[in-house]
Amino acid sequence: MFELFKQKAEAINAEVYYFKSKAEALDFIKDFILEHNPNKLSKGVVWCESPFLEGIDKDSLLMELPQVEFNIDLNSASSAKIGINQVDYGIAETGSLVEISENVSKRLCSTLPEIHLAILPLSKIEPTMDDIMKKIDIRKIPYLTVISGPSRTADIERVLTIGVHGPERVLILCVDNF
Amino acid sequence: MIKEDIRKALQNANLSGALTRFSEAYAVSRAKAYEGLNFEEIREKIASAKAFVAEHLEEVVQTFIKSAQANGAKVFYTKNPDEVKKYILDLARKNNVKSIVKSKSMATEEIHLNKYLKEQGIEVNETDLGEWIIQLAGQRPSHMVLPAIHLTRYDVSDVFTKKVEPIEPDIARMVKFARKHLRRKFLAADMGITGANMAIAETGTLVLFTNEGNARLTMTLPKIHVAVVGVEKLVAKFEDIFPIIKALPRSATAQLITSYISFVTKPYTHIDGSQKEFHIVLLDNKRSEAAKDPVFKQSLQCIRCASCLNVCPVFRLIGGHVFGKIYTGGIGTILTAWTEGLKASKDIQGLCIQCGNCVKVCPGKINIPELIVEIRKRLAKQEGLSFTTRAIYSVVNNRKLFHSILRTASKLQKPFERSGFIRHLPFFLSDLTQERSLPAIAETPFRDRFRKIIQPSSGKKVIFFAGCLIDFAYPEIGEALIKLLNSAGIEVLFPEEQTCCGAPARYSGVMDVAANNSRQNLEALLSVEADFIISACPTCTVALKQQFIKDLKEQNYTQEIITKAEKISKKVKDASEFINTLIKENKIKFDRSQELTVTYHDPCHLIRSLNIYKEPRESLTISGMKLIEMFESDTCCGMGGSYSLKFPEISGTILRRKLENIKKTGVDMVCTDCPGCVMQIRGGIDKEGLPIKVKHSLEVLAERLKEV
Repeated sequence: MFELFKQKAEAINAEVYYFKSKAEALDFIKDFILEHNPNKLSKGVVWCESPFLEGIDKDSLLMELPQVEFNIDLNSASSAKIGINQVDYGIAETGSLVEISENVSKRLCSTLPEIHLAILPLSKIEPTMDDIMKKIDIRKIPYLTVISGPSRTADIERVLTIGVHGPERVLILCVDNF
Repeated sequence: MIKEDIRKALQNANLSGALTRFSEAYAVSRAKAYEGLNFEEIREKIASAKAFVAEHLEEVVQTFIKSAQANGAKVFYTKNPDEVKKYILDLARKNNVKSIVKSKSMATEEIHLNKYLKEQGIEVNETDLGEWIIQLAGQRPSHMVLPAIHLTRYDVSDVFTKKVEPIEPDIARMVKFARKHLRRKFLAADMGITGANMAIAETGTLVLFTNEGNARLTMTLPKIHVAVVGVEKLVAKFEDIFPIIKALPRSATAQLITSYISFVTKPYTHIDGSQKEFHIVLLDNKRSEAAKDPVFKQSLQCIRCASCLNVCPVFRLIGGHVFGKIYTGGIGTILTAWTEGLKASKDIQGLCIQCGNCVKVCPGKINIPELIVEIRKRLAKQEGLSFTTRAIYSVVNNRKLFHSILRTASKLQKPFERSGFIRHLPFFLSDLTQERSLPAIAETPFRDRFRKIIQPSSGKKVIFFAGCLIDFAYPEIGEALIKLLNSAGIEVLFPEEQTCCGAPARYSGVMDVAANNSRQNLEALLSVEADFIISACPTCTVALKQQFIKDLKEQNYTQEIITKAEKISKKVKDASEFINTLIKENKIKFDRSQELTVTYHDPCHLIRSLNIYKEPRESLTISGMKLIEMFESDTCCGMGGSYSLKFPEISGTILRRKLENIKKTGVDMVCTDCPGCVMQIRGGIDKEGLPIKVKHSLEVLAERLKEV
């Protein structure tokens, strides 16, 4: 299922990575931040609370990467280049992510920054959207988004252009044994 | 007025170039997007879910209101569009709103909300890139899904440079430019207005599709979110959304899925910790009246994908600024007739050529051409017919007069005729021969020639229904049919009282004449006994098979007459299908010694109303012809009956595309199975002086018969 998910997600311009463990994924995230947002003086990364962060010592992470901001508001999210959150499901059929965001901070991480790092527990990949919709009760969820690749437009001369109002890069970090 | 707009649009190479390229690419990518899915099954589900809502509109509206209110949304429902504007203005005033961001919503375009709010001193910014460009340019969308498709990158750069700040005509840079400028607007806005693609009654959820991500920002960043939703967006059950989720992106932009599908159910805590305000405005604006109309209730099955525009041979030439108002194209004509009133659709309804291309792609299973004919009927009733139209149809209504006029015309045309064509006509008639030569009216019509044909008598008899074109312009097609049938041992009868099938009147909405034509034909066709009634004109076939019954019922004819029409309907076969059966039964044999190469043009009524396209190809191939397919073989040739007389320039432009596609095959013969298509294509080929023969398949098949 992961293979299908990866193939479909890449077909819609998302980037998909596989990690055997949380630790591996964390290393990747750290390297990615250092590579794409090396400036330690400004808060270029917003990272939303999630099960992934449980058990990770945020203080030492901040020592290592002071460009990360865990307090998310309009100001921090709109000035960040990278937004990190954990999404709730993956859809293999279309390579999509399902983000349930009662907490608006989670949504800001995937709407405002140019790069969205989406952490997805491997076990949360389901075959189709219908499968996921059957598991949840939409009545109880204030806001849910199915995200399929980066933001795109073809409004000028029908030329496909990636990255309009939302992220121009979506990296999906699939984490096993989570 | 509309003629002038058409002329301008046809001369606008950017517009027709962009639309045509898109429609060509769309046909391929749409098919690819639906690969592995059963489109018929999907659209059946959509149509029935939507039809349910139309049937139970008030009930579904009330269920939605209850669910949404229970979720904490504030719902405002009104039939009056002015009250929608007032509600939003009051809300804005109460909350001291100075600036609004909007994501694409046709419902707000429909009520001219932006203009209204601006007049009240509130800044409104569209945030969908295409809509923003259109707003800055002070135009209206030319396409429901691709609002700025008529503008080039240079146009867009001009608009940005004039209205925002200088930017070069580089698409990637202009997209970044839009991100930067609109991001500021998002962050400063006090209210976000969106539409919705679906509203689920049982859960009170709105579902929104976007690619750019602007709807998410519009809903999330300002403290107040107002969604303006036309009641046709309602579905009763949560499960009803799945077929629409499958169809909408595939049909709209040939995507498997859009970048974002948002489900909004409840207001949540806003970014600043306060309570989010979530308002849903349900807009009726005549939709509930349409839902009660036995014919137009179908219009509520529209999911606003605009695939009907993308496959329309007329729309891709002239675009939505001419073919449409707020809503564009064929479906736009129907929606305009309701949201703006029947009269508002008067100019645009005529633009539908009735080719039926949209019927096969509509995910809501709306028969758009049929609804447009219904508009014509109602307009004819409401507005009355022009003197000329009335005069023409009163002639067609009287067979003897009609036929004697055709005979007289055959004599009068002499000065203009050369080798079977009329190439130029003087005065106001000159338009008719500008794009293509007209066929000369035959010196001896089929009905006179028929009397002289000696047929072997047989126990197997069929009736031939000739229709006007074969009878008076192309009698040789009728003769070819007789030759083929005789060779299979079948005798052909020709009741002389038969007349026009009624199509010209019918497709113009002049129903009393159409029904009278139907009735006259019934009498003629039942005057002799035969197993089958054969027509070699698919438009006539459709009339005899399907339309007579409908027309007579609609015009309140007696059950006795309707029963006759039903009896006829069962006996009718199109010649292409009937001959094909005889060929496969080996009753018609060919001399295959000379292999000829041919390309085939599918007549609209044959392929789309009768679903016949394999049969004529198979017949030609069995007769020893080699078939080379042309691009868009099933796209209309531009004839459309009287359409080519009403809009000769559009008809001519469609024809030239057809000729280009024929030329590209490199063959020197085109076959088709409709005398109207023969007339149009042959006329175009004569006008261009091309060395290509155009024949009705029957003529070619008859020429290749094995001599016994």
